[in-house]
Amino acid sequence: MTLHAWFALLVALALAGWTVGTLRRRTARYEPGRRFFRHPTAAWGIGVLAFFVIVAVAAPLVTSYSPIVHNDIINLKNQPPSWSFILGTDVYSRDLWSRVAFGARISLKVGGLGMLVAVTLGTLVGAVAGYYRRWVDAVLMRGVDVGLALPRIFVLLIAIALFDRLGETVLILVIGLTSWFGTSRLVRAEVLSVRERDFVAAARAMGAGPGRVIFRHVLPNAAAPIIVAAALGIGNVLLLEASLSFLGIGVAPPKPSWGSMIADGVPYLATAPWTTLFPGLAIALVVMALNAVGDALREALDPRQEAM
Amino acid sequence: MTAWLVRRVAASIAIIFAVVTLTFFLMAVAPGEPLLGPDERQVPPEVRAELIRQWGLDQPAPVRYVKYLRQLARGNFGLSFSLHRPVADALAEAIPNTLLLAGAALLIDFLVGLGLGVYQAWRVHRLPDVVLSNVTLFLYSVPTFWLGLILLLVFGEWLGWFPVAGMSDPILCPTVSSFYCVMDRLWHLALPAATLGFVGAAGTARFQRAAMLEISAQDYIRTARAKGASEQRVVLRHQLRNALLSFITLFGLAFPFLLTGSVLIETTFAWPGMGRLATDAILRRDVPLVNAAVLLASTLVVMGSLLADVLLAAVDPRLRVRGTA
Amino acid sequence: MLSPRRLVLVLAALGVSACQRSGGCSGAYCGTLVLAAVGEPDILLPPSTQQVTSRDIEEQLFLKLADIGLTTNTVGDEDFQPLLAERWEWDGPLTLVFHIDPRARWQDGQPVTASDVAFTFDAYTDSAVASPYRTALRRIASVKARDPQTAVFRFRERYPEMFYDAVYHMRILPAHLLRGVPRDSWKTAPFGRQPVGNGPYRFVAWKAGQTIELVADSTFFLGRPGIRRVIWRFTPDLQVAVTQVVADQADGREALYTPENIARVRAAPQVTLYPYRGNVYGYLGFNLAANGDTTQPHPIFGERDVRRALTIAVDRARLLKSVFGDFAKVPPGPTSQLWWIWDPEARQLPYDTAQAKRILSARGWRDSDGDGIRDRAGQPLAFHILVPSTSQTRKQYAQLLQEQFRVVGAQVEIDLVEQSVQAERTAAGKFDATLQAWNNDPSPSSGIAQVWSRAGFGGSNFLRYDNPVFDTLVSRATRAATPKQARPLWRAAFETINADAPAVFLFAPDNVAVFHSRIVDVRIRPDSWAALLRTWRIPSDRLIDRDRVER
Repeated sequence: MTLHAWFALLVALALAGWTVGTLRRRTARYEPGRRFFRHPTAAWGIGVLAFFVIVAVAAPLVTSYSPIVHNDIINLKNQPPSWSFILGTDVYSRDLWSRVAFGARISLKVGGLGMLVAVTLGTLVGAVAGYYRRWVDAVLMRGVDVGLALPRIFVLLIAIALFDRLGETVLILVIGLTSWFGTSRLVRAEVLSVRERDFVAAARAMGAGPGRVIFRHVLPNAAAPIIVAAALGIGNVLLLEASLSFLGIGVAPPKPSWGSMIADGVPYLATAPWTTLFPGLAIALVVMALNAVGDALREALDPRQEAM
Repeated sequence: MTAWLVRRVAASIAIIFAVVTLTFFLMAVAPGEPLLGPDERQVPPEVRAELIRQWGLDQPAPVRYVKYLRQLARGNFGLSFSLHRPVADALAEAIPNTLLLAGAALLIDFLVGLGLGVYQAWRVHRLPDVVLSNVTLFLYSVPTFWLGLILLLVFGEWLGWFPVAGMSDPILCPTVSSFYCVMDRLWHLALPAATLGFVGAAGTARFQRAAMLEISAQDYIRTARAKGASEQRVVLRHQLRNALLSFITLFGLAFPFLLTGSVLIETTFAWPGMGRLATDAILRRDVPLVNAAVLLASTLVVMGSLLADVLLAAVDPRLRVRGTA
Repeated sequence: MLSPRRLVLVLAALGVSACQRSGGCSGAYCGTLVLAAVGEPDILLPPSTQQVTSRDIEEQLFLKLADIGLTTNTVGDEDFQPLLAERWEWDGPLTLVFHIDPRARWQDGQPVTASDVAFTFDAYTDSAVASPYRTALRRIASVKARDPQTAVFRFRERYPEMFYDAVYHMRILPAHLLRGVPRDSWKTAPFGRQPVGNGPYRFVAWKAGQTIELVADSTFFLGRPGIRRVIWRFTPDLQVAVTQVVADQADGREALYTPENIARVRAAPQVTLYPYRGNVYGYLGFNLAANGDTTQPHPIFGERDVRRALTIAVDRARLLKSVFGDFAKVPPGPTSQLWWIWDPEARQLPYDTAQAKRILSARGWRDSDGDGIRDRAGQPLAFHILVPSTSQTRKQYAQLLQEQFRVVGAQVEIDLVEQSVQAERTAAGKFDATLQAWNNDPSPSSGIAQVWSRAGFGGSNFLRYDNPVFDTLVSRATRAATPKQARPLWRAAFETINADAPAVFLFAPDNVAVFHSRIVDVRIRPDSWAALLRTWRIPSDRLIDRDRVER
């Protein structure tokens, strides 16, 4: 790896650390902020996430090779880590570190957007079900039950087969459309409890329409579990994308995604384990960080903790 | 209580029916013709046409759907295109294997997970808790199949402690005929069950730890303490009782996890179970087999959650009042 | 070899079961062969399946009348080995008479008779059975039993491979057991999961998803098989199968496919490698008709020069080396290494990126907007390659080709689809280019015409390559009386198709088999590696644990 890239990498690490520090200082004024950072792994989680986001954004700067160019398919195939290729090369003699860095873009994008679709849909359905109750609730929740009863991996295999060409958009949509069921249940429970509160009754007495009531009054108070679900949701979507690529359906080559990198490396697990190890570690680290942040958020935003 | 139960069972049946219908039409719409010629051999077009006619694939989807429902009502799951045998036979052979794997994984999951969760709550914020928190976090976050591959590489190939594939030794133990063969089965079961089990245990431990910490903060424990009951007894009795509640909840949630996990783990470890069967069937567009597998899987999931709800209602009186949860 | 834990288990087992076993098998006819197989058979009924492992197992269960020799020559009848038929003669130009060996028996004790042969032909050609071998038998008019030991074949026409067609495709079936099975349910007949044959091995058990076990017939009329038991052990993953061989949990497998696997196996001390000619060839096929519309030419691949330019842009030798190491060759045309028509002297297109770029520019494909991709009249030089997700080799080639084409200004997108989807789209003509591979019978005459001539339209010629000159050359070559006369015709045919470049012929791999070193007399016939399995043996001084198990 070139000197520039090393330098940029160090800058990225430093930036990540600085992000954590700034965040901690800025939120120290608020009780939830202090509670967040009291959690043992919260700071570490934010740091790891910040690092990967920075690497994803600045991928061309922190790497010295293109993620798609085949450097030398005969002599540089499946090479172990070395000074020029710090994470080694894959079966097409592509630099693994570049693919991990550029892969962060795609994996995080699929994860983030997929989660967004799932959470938005789940929130909408859950809010409507919880607010209107009775038959609307019954119909929607039975639909959610069907969704939860469907073995997800089968549905994904079948649903993805419906599309000839697997673009990222399709992948995001399909993953999002099959991941919202749990969130909807969560949101519904929150909405059910919030809607009985005084300020909601007051708003309705004043003639506010249901949409306004839901969005201005109910949801903000139900926000905490939604945020936590979002944080954990990205992790699940990342793992899902990895599983799909492993089963042979995922992001199309030559674009690197961590899941497809694992799938590429599996046939060479015995002779070149690094090709599978590093993308798997990347996924594990990001999902760990997301889970840590999600846990800390849950503790920080939980109003019941106030009583203590 | 009985009315609620009847309603729940009826709803469950409706859900399963909806799942099966959805799957049927998804498979009908999916591109890709059923594999009528394997590998890279050429299949003459007139032969392909004849096979399509024989399998009844030339009829429109709604017609096939009605036929399928009628068959199902008579208990006939149809014939598998790819396995050339009745679907029921193929599933009957595969299900016990998946149940064995899932059962072993569930055992590890709960024993290790609940144990760890209770231990961590007892020693909260001290070194063992911190270390275990990070370990469970890691296990919870890794892709399950990746963990399986790494374990296979390290323990199967490099160290040679466990076999790398299959359910049993085909030479010495095609059937369980001696104590050695029981041990052989367990030896083959170890790695795949451990992979699924430990990932599940990590999730269970985290959940249990959080649940127990939440409980210790609750009023009735403070009341009990205030009344002077001994610390140990208070903690143990209430926490273990609530551990039982979480166990039941998790049990209901475990089914979907195990089904998904079994698909990936069975492929990695060459375990001849339902997950592997169903995945192959989807890839080969073997519609009868896919429909039967999905029917079975969703039935298991729905029954699992129904069972969990019933047990919860039986154990926790508070839940009985609320009705449909 | 034996890890500590395994040793403890084995000792415990020996201790526990010491009373049960009586010392185990010893002598010349013991031996257990455990094969690490990847594909599980669908059914063990010869007319109903072409699946590779099914054919290997059927090879041990059911005999043909005669079979080709180690030279794999398919012309005439001199190189053929008698099996079920002890001798044969020609009774006129269109009539072939076989004399069934009187010692041949079905495993239930019944003798094999000529009516079995007649019944078999009737079943193979019955449209209700829908056998994929039916077209191969189209030039045989009838098969009748003159008497219980004599079967008479009548042909419709004379051609060089009459004997091959008569014997190679059909495995003789027991009429007395299959007569009652309705023809259109042969594919799911219980016989297919519990076959009764006349071959050197008997079927024992099939544990779905796990193993199939065969045991030797000690009274087999052509000689007792050397190895007593053969067990196929199924693993969905090639890597794991190879690991089983390396870890001595299996005795071998018939192909290793990648140089990494070969290297892993080389490091294991207890096995021996056996390379042999492969019967597969693979290529990148261009759809000469428009994607989704067979009446229009393809906007890019409809032009011969553009196809030639794209072929010249591919460094086939280098790609081959990267994917296969030293265990494959670049095919000189649409042929695998198995076929005797393999002709490295036939003229092929060179590798020359400069020339490729020149030709493309000359045909109007220039990069007018500076994005690195050539275009012409607003349309970019971009196309999709269809790749099945099940083939590791073709997945690798897809990404390597993508890069090769990018260098000359063509943008390639890889459509990684399931095999079933690829089958459907190629059959319907809904593709630009496809990475295809064929697994062939030893006779070139059927394979080439079916895939590359007009006769294959609507069938395997989904590229819609249509060159009457090529068709005529192939037709004359298959009718040539001797290989010597045929060779120049085949060379001309290859040179024609190479010049037209409907496909880039990429690889013709060697197969490298690996088997435990204790097994001797390992003879592998390249078209069917398990054909001579009954002649392999394990000397009594080299028996190991699994050979001795008596069951």
